Amino acid sequence: MAKYVLKRIGYLVVVFFIVSFLMYSLYNLIPSDPARAQLEEQKKSLKPEVYEQMYQDLRREMGLDDPLLLRYARWIGVAPDVNGEFNGLFEGNLGYSIFFKKNVIECIAEPIQTTIFINIFATILALGITIPLGIFCAVHKGSKFDNGVQVFTIIGYSIPVYIIALVFIFLFAVVWRIFPVSGMKTPGSNYTGLRAVVDQLYYFALPLIVMTFGSLGGMTRYVRASMIDALSMDHIRTARAKGVREKVVIYSHAWRNALLPVITLIISWFLGIFSGSVIIENTFNINGMGSLYIKALNNHDYELALAMQMFYTVVSLIGALITDLSYGLVDPRVRIDK
Amino acid sequence: MKRVLSFVLVFAMMLSLAACNSGSSTSSTGSQQSSSTDTPVENQIIFGNTTELSGDLGNAWWTNNAADMDIRSLIDDYDVIVTDQEGAFVENKTVCGGIESTENEDGTKTFTVKINEGLKYNNGDPITAADYVAYALIGYSPAAKAAGAKNDAGAAQVVGGTAYMNGEADTITGIRLVDEYTYSITISADYLPYYFDVVYASLKPISLKMYASADLTVKDDGKGVYLDGGELKKEEIDASRWIYEDRISAGPYSLVEFDQASLQATLEINPNYAGNFEGQKPSVEKIIYTKAVQETMMDNLKTGGVDMLTALTDGSEINAALDLEAAGGFHTVKYDRNGYGVLSFQCDFGPTQFQSVRHAVAYLLDRNEFANQFCQGYGSVVNGPYGVAMWMYQESKEELSEKLNPYSYSVDKAIEELEADGWVYDKDGNDYKEGIRYKKVTAEEAGDYEHNVTLDDGTILMPLIIEWASSENNSVSELLSVMLANGEQTAEAGMQINMHTMSFDDLLNYRYRDASQGDQYGVPTYGMYNLATDWTAQYDVSYNFTMDPELVAAGYNTQYTQDEQLDQLSMDMVYGVESGDDAAYLEKWVAFVERWNEYLPEIPLYSNVYHDVMNDKIQNLECNALWDFAHAVVYATVG
Repeated sequence: MAKYVLKRIGYLVVVFFIVSFLMYSLYNLIPSDPARAQLEEQKKSLKPEVYEQMYQDLRREMGLDDPLLLRYARWIGVAPDVNGEFNGLFEGNLGYSIFFKKNVIECIAEPIQTTIFINIFATILALGITIPLGIFCAVHKGSKFDNGVQVFTIIGYSIPVYIIALVFIFLFAVVWRIFPVSGMKTPGSNYTGLRAVVDQLYYFALPLIVMTFGSLGGMTRYVRASMIDALSMDHIRTARAKGVREKVVIYSHAWRNALLPVITLIISWFLGIFSGSVIIENTFNINGMGSLYIKALNNHDYELALAMQMFYTVVSLIGALITDLSYGLVDPRVRIDK
Repeated sequence: MKRVLSFVLVFAMMLSLAACNSGSSTSSTGSQQSSSTDTPVENQIIFGNTTELSGDLGNAWWTNNAADMDIRSLIDDYDVIVTDQEGAFVENKTVCGGIESTENEDGTKTFTVKINEGLKYNNGDPITAADYVAYALIGYSPAAKAAGAKNDAGAAQVVGGTAYMNGEADTITGIRLVDEYTYSITISADYLPYYFDVVYASLKPISLKMYASADLTVKDDGKGVYLDGGELKKEEIDASRWIYEDRISAGPYSLVEFDQASLQATLEINPNYAGNFEGQKPSVEKIIYTKAVQETMMDNLKTGGVDMLTALTDGSEINAALDLEAAGGFHTVKYDRNGYGVLSFQCDFGPTQFQSVRHAVAYLLDRNEFANQFCQGYGSVVNGPYGVAMWMYQESKEELSEKLNPYSYSVDKAIEELEADGWVYDKDGNDYKEGIRYKKVTAEEAGDYEHNVTLDDGTILMPLIIEWASSENNSVSELLSVMLANGEQTAEAGMQINMHTMSFDDLLNYRYRDASQGDQYGVPTYGMYNLATDWTAQYDVSYNFTMDPELVAAGYNTQYTQDEQLDQLSMDMVYGVESGDDAAYLEKWVAFVERWNEYLPEIPLYSNVYHDVMNDKIQNLECNALWDFAHAVVYATVG
């Protein structure tokens, strides 16, 4: 087991370097000039010769005239920067945001908390509904309820979450005025304690409902299909013939087998809590990772965007490892120590 | 169905409750919170801006986010020179007891500024001339530069400023602390004479406590000002940008809270504020500054999530605002944008190097209809490089209306101009009958333009094909494509316009001819670009029309104009007029606009009519393109 894990971690490191180099190269292929962008505003107020000197100094300072490989090595932290210091990813420096004019790690700190915060509960809520619903539909396959859920989920699956959000805002916020249109707290409030909690609850409820609603269709249908396959297996018929209670047949015999294809999806959902929903966060004015990523791209803040993508790369690689390991735990037929 | 919905709602609420409980510590607010719960006051405005606050309050030395700038304007307003409602620079009489200027023998100019006594920061600390001087000593310091502050321009204008910034001197020799309430500032001869030179005299007070933990004081031993009592640290200067709790400031409002999680700022009246340049003090007790999402902001306004939205430009949003006004409870204020969308030429190669071609393009586009369609009825058209709110335009509009060519839509005039300039051949050098027009050009005019045709006898023919660079996802480009590039009138005039869509970065590289980004950019490729521009109160276009090859190569003249008159007028307008001589400035400005209109380096396409919409409880809040919410709110009332 340990040997297998070590081997996989070794692969991850190699993949990480390949992906990081490819991504760094891609961002550097974008024909932009960050030095020019930084100084453009001062151009009018400076004598041309002063501006030119500043521009050249800044290019040198940013290492823009150095070869790509050297810049990559500096960014990753295996080569010294223009000041002779090692100050890259490996040293904990995720970069500097040219838009926010502060370190990337400081830009990410607040949004990632918000994103994790909202995603954890959206994920639990969605799984809490879809898994029982999928199982129930599979057990009652062909019933009116099952048919109704099938129609409902296919509609939910087909409608973009952006549309769902706008429809829900119109219904819940404008027509019925149950929830606010957007935001994270009552403007100007400085509530503390329980009242602050209730206030936040009030503002996060609608985006949570939209996120949950948007994810119901896919997972419900996936669980249902997987469960139907499991329920049609011979050992289920045998268990029933032996007189095993139906609940035990469903949850112990069938669900354990149905879980195998579903587990990949569940793990990826949990890993997805780090990545913000671009649409939900922007629509509901939530300061999260999705919203930050769009801001980074729109403002050509490539160092910030690159750092965020590298973070997701690491999360994905770790997620792939966890998924593989979990197979061995769930399915005794899978051996991961070879 | 109802039961299912109820179940989902209740479940969501329960989990949210749990979530909020566990995550309440993630909310980072700048202000100390009382344990009690406060009810929002009535006398307040919730201002919604589509631009999100970043929270950087660092004196615009680092970033220029428009929302952050609003907050800075609300909390700091004691600059010596400010702009008035018409965008003109005026002395801030509330803080300034007078400015005297002296022209020195070495060509430098010294402004001596008297600060009024009795001014205070929001925490009650007195403001003296030393606080004004501290702005330069902090902002131009090597530590600030190391922290990423961009004040090189300001430092370069002051005698001794650059030496101080580069760490070559501990004092700024050009700034003197004359007495407790007087400072002087000497401007380098390189930047004089300059019409806006009084702006150089303007500093604003900053409290040293915000920028250094050491007990620093401003001193002057007769050779210039310096900081005594310790050293500035770049970490502390950088950290000053993000101080929200007990932030020391001197404006109509004080920052009470900046919520970093929701990016929302709350401000309350500063009781120590002495008034703006007209002595006006605010009466709206509280301002909450928050982001409004474009897609839902009208719903947010309608449901009370925000009280006001500003600078609406989209026709559907304006119509929604007007609907709200008609329904009652809201009202709108409209004003013209101080800028425009523009079709900009490069005037040194290909067909667009010829004035006749630029004129023909202008005649071939029905700009009134374009503005009407693009702005959905809420736009206007100007005929020169100005906005209609500018005082220069207001004082000369009758003269300009006589002097400027409006280039009204006319295919005949376009053809007339082209024929008069020699665009009368076909690709074989015969008389033009149909298709694309050609013109016989010299080798110098021909350059390396890719579409040129050389006949057997060596005659070079240039076709009337314009390569047009447009950025992606640009609705202006889409309309231009329909109304100009693919318009029947364009083909009828014998002109072909090829649209090339690219990223904005790519477009800028071509416009700047920035070969450092790739060899392809160094070659003149596109003769026409659609862009947008906005004017500031400091109307200075010097160097924009320079003919100095080095400056052109450095990207100063991105239209590559080849006109000595434009170059001269644009320089004379600001560097050939003494400050305060408004008549001389206006005369040169009109001459510049007239020449610009004739040379036509760009065609103004549309200028938006902005609409502000607000709850009826807000009264007397009248913004314009040069007088934003942060300044106008001082006159507003709620009730």
